[in-house]
Amino acid sequence: MNTHATIEAPTRELSYAEAIREAMDIALGSDEAVVLMGEDIGVYGGAFQVTGDLVHKYGEDRVIDTPISELGGAGVAVGAALTGLKPIFEFQFSDFAALAMEQIVNQAAKVRYMLGGAVSVPVVMRFPAGSGTGAAAQHSQSIEAWLGHVPGLKVVQPSTPEDVKGMLLAALEDPDPVMIFEHKILYKMKGHVPEGYYTTPIGKAAIRREGKDLSIVATSLMVHKALAAAETLAGEGIDAEVIDLRTVRPMDRETVLNSVRKTGRLVCVYEGVKTLGIGAEISAMVAESDAFDFLDAPIIRLGGAECPIPYNPELEKAAVPQIPDILEAARAIAKGHV
Amino acid sequence: MPVEVIMPKVDMDMATGKIMSWHVGEGEAVTKGAPLFDIETDKAAMEVEAPDNGILHHTAPEGTEVPIGQAVAWLYAEGEAVGEQPAPFAAAKTPEPAPSDEPVVADISHPEPDVSALPQFAPAPIAADRARATPKARAMARKSGLDINALHGSGPLGRIQAEDVLSALQTVPAMVAAPGFSAENGPLSVTRSRGGTGTPVVLIHGFASDAQSWAPLEAHLKHRPLVRIELPGHGKSPKLRIADFAALSRTLRQCFDSLGLENAHLVGHSLGGALSLALADTRPRSVASLTLIAPAGLGPEINGAALSGLLKATRAESLGPWLKALVADETLITDAYVRLAMSGRSEPNLRHAQSALADVLFPDGVQAFDLRAALDRIERPTRIIWGKQDGIIPWKHAFGAPGHVALHLFKGIGHMPQIECADAVGSILKSAV
Repeated sequence: MNTHATIEAPTRELSYAEAIREAMDIALGSDEAVVLMGEDIGVYGGAFQVTGDLVHKYGEDRVIDTPISELGGAGVAVGAALTGLKPIFEFQFSDFAALAMEQIVNQAAKVRYMLGGAVSVPVVMRFPAGSGTGAAAQHSQSIEAWLGHVPGLKVVQPSTPEDVKGMLLAALEDPDPVMIFEHKILYKMKGHVPEGYYTTPIGKAAIRREGKDLSIVATSLMVHKALAAAETLAGEGIDAEVIDLRTVRPMDRETVLNSVRKTGRLVCVYEGVKTLGIGAEISAMVAESDAFDFLDAPIIRLGGAECPIPYNPELEKAAVPQIPDILEAARAIAKGHV
Repeated sequence: MPVEVIMPKVDMDMATGKIMSWHVGEGEAVTKGAPLFDIETDKAAMEVEAPDNGILHHTAPEGTEVPIGQAVAWLYAEGEAVGEQPAPFAAAKTPEPAPSDEPVVADISHPEPDVSALPQFAPAPIAADRARATPKARAMARKSGLDINALHGSGPLGRIQAEDVLSALQTVPAMVAAPGFSAENGPLSVTRSRGGTGTPVVLIHGFASDAQSWAPLEAHLKHRPLVRIELPGHGKSPKLRIADFAALSRTLRQCFDSLGLENAHLVGHSLGGALSLALADTRPRSVASLTLIAPAGLGPEINGAALSGLLKATRAESLGPWLKALVADETLITDAYVRLAMSGRSEPNLRHAQSALADVLFPDGVQAFDLRAALDRIERPTRIIWGKQDGIIPWKHAFGAPGHVALHLFKGIGHMPQIECADAVGSILKSAV
């Protein structure tokens, strides 16, 4: 799936969290401007143990524990980026971005524009996101669409260990702020990861499974649910194409539109709240393009329920799209029942 | 203040007009004089121009029937605030409430609210000529010139899906090209000549005829690209069920639109003449000139006996006499010609389709459509060619034409001048197109 030349490099199995750590290790080792910042990322190793023992390898000057203030920490990271460093700032939970919105939205995203391009903010922010951990309403949200609404930010949602390493390294090469949303359920997922340095392009979706009957455009953890659903559908004679959007902003128009031109049917699957979400943007993109003429059924969006994520495990599952929901939608749309 | 766009009166006895399609979308800018919408009346279909410059808002839905003089949309000035629709659309078929002398008294015996006044949550009604169809089905139908409203939808709520269009297209018989012509897929059989330059000439044959009838004339028109359209139920066109002249005219118009010709000379014979005239009336900007050969539609009379005789004939012996009625010089109709003509009419379904068409176009031996008003409106160069021994349609119908229409009347010629005096008709056309 990777376009970089080092795709030929030997691979081994790493978890998603290990792949992030490896990317940060490579960056710290090859570029002195790179620093890690965040709450408990030092000796403790990070809320999800993503940073691990990097503090012992690079010291407390480069792996910096920040006080319990997301606004303060994000502000320091943005300031450091403005003065020549390339900070990777970790939030403990993406929900806490709400505390740092001033720095993310009003400063990081806008300074380049407001100073006529004289400066840039090469900051990378990492957000452990999503539900499924029993952490309830304030620690389970999927807010990538909030930040995707802000010009000046790039917002990515890698769904595989290989992609998260490549996209984190691509984010460090980007002169502007890049927000990486990492689904917490993915941290333990294993996958092949090429060794050494490579980048995975930001703004390019990946076709994870080719199909001709319908297009499922999914993000993050939903890509894996969509792939599982597609296997079941294949047994029923329904050939689903699964697209991993990978980047929320800037969105890869052509890959999505080409798929819809081919299949004529679209299901969007994402964990963020359905209304005014990523699926709305994808649907509108199709409706506004010539791909509209290829639609042979109404579009279906599967998104998060219109409520905070519940604590009760069964309700928590019910609040986000699951494999049976995808199956039901795909069968209905492929058989012309909607 | 927004400018009202009104339903114009285009016929003497027109009471209402139906909005067929808007050329400009809601919220788009229009220029005074540019085509704004198409209407259809009992008799004709035509294009209506924008009365002023402005931004189009509050358009009446396509398919609605609106009384003449009533608003169908409003034009706003650039930057003018668009509020509520200034006035509701006048419904064409709502009867006036009966006047009552009874004093209006509040009825307090039934305190329940009148729920019938509340909005009803039912599937949105679909106008009869606005089918429920997917964008893909619409695009496919548009591309192949099919009328989406005529198709059957197999999807939920009767939605027409791509596969419905595909199956409709498969029922259209395969087009076979005549020598020197290439066939095109579409609802009607269209063949194009391979030579010629400049503005193309579109040839529309008459009732119970087909594109082959143009062969004698084509030798004179080789300098232009020729496009021959065959009517439904004729030649290689499918045998569509046609409700009336307006529907036939609409089918032809859709076919013409799908050809993508920016400008064309129209040449029509008999029924094809009436259809050419209706087409020129609706698409005046696409028509360079109009040539009507023994056209229908300019008066009520027609030789009903000859029509039914032609339609009934199943053998050369019964067809021959009626073919001879078409021409002045009967020696043109040789036995060999009759046998050839009969072999082209041997398929019973073709005769049935033409009989069904004759029933709606010429009931009781009368022309059930009148295009004289359309002829009066024509601004393009127009000529009528007629034989003064026409035994099918009285040539004196030509005298109803307005002064700017040229008349070429041939002595000793019948209903088929393009065959009977092909050289003379050819040289008239050659100088005209």
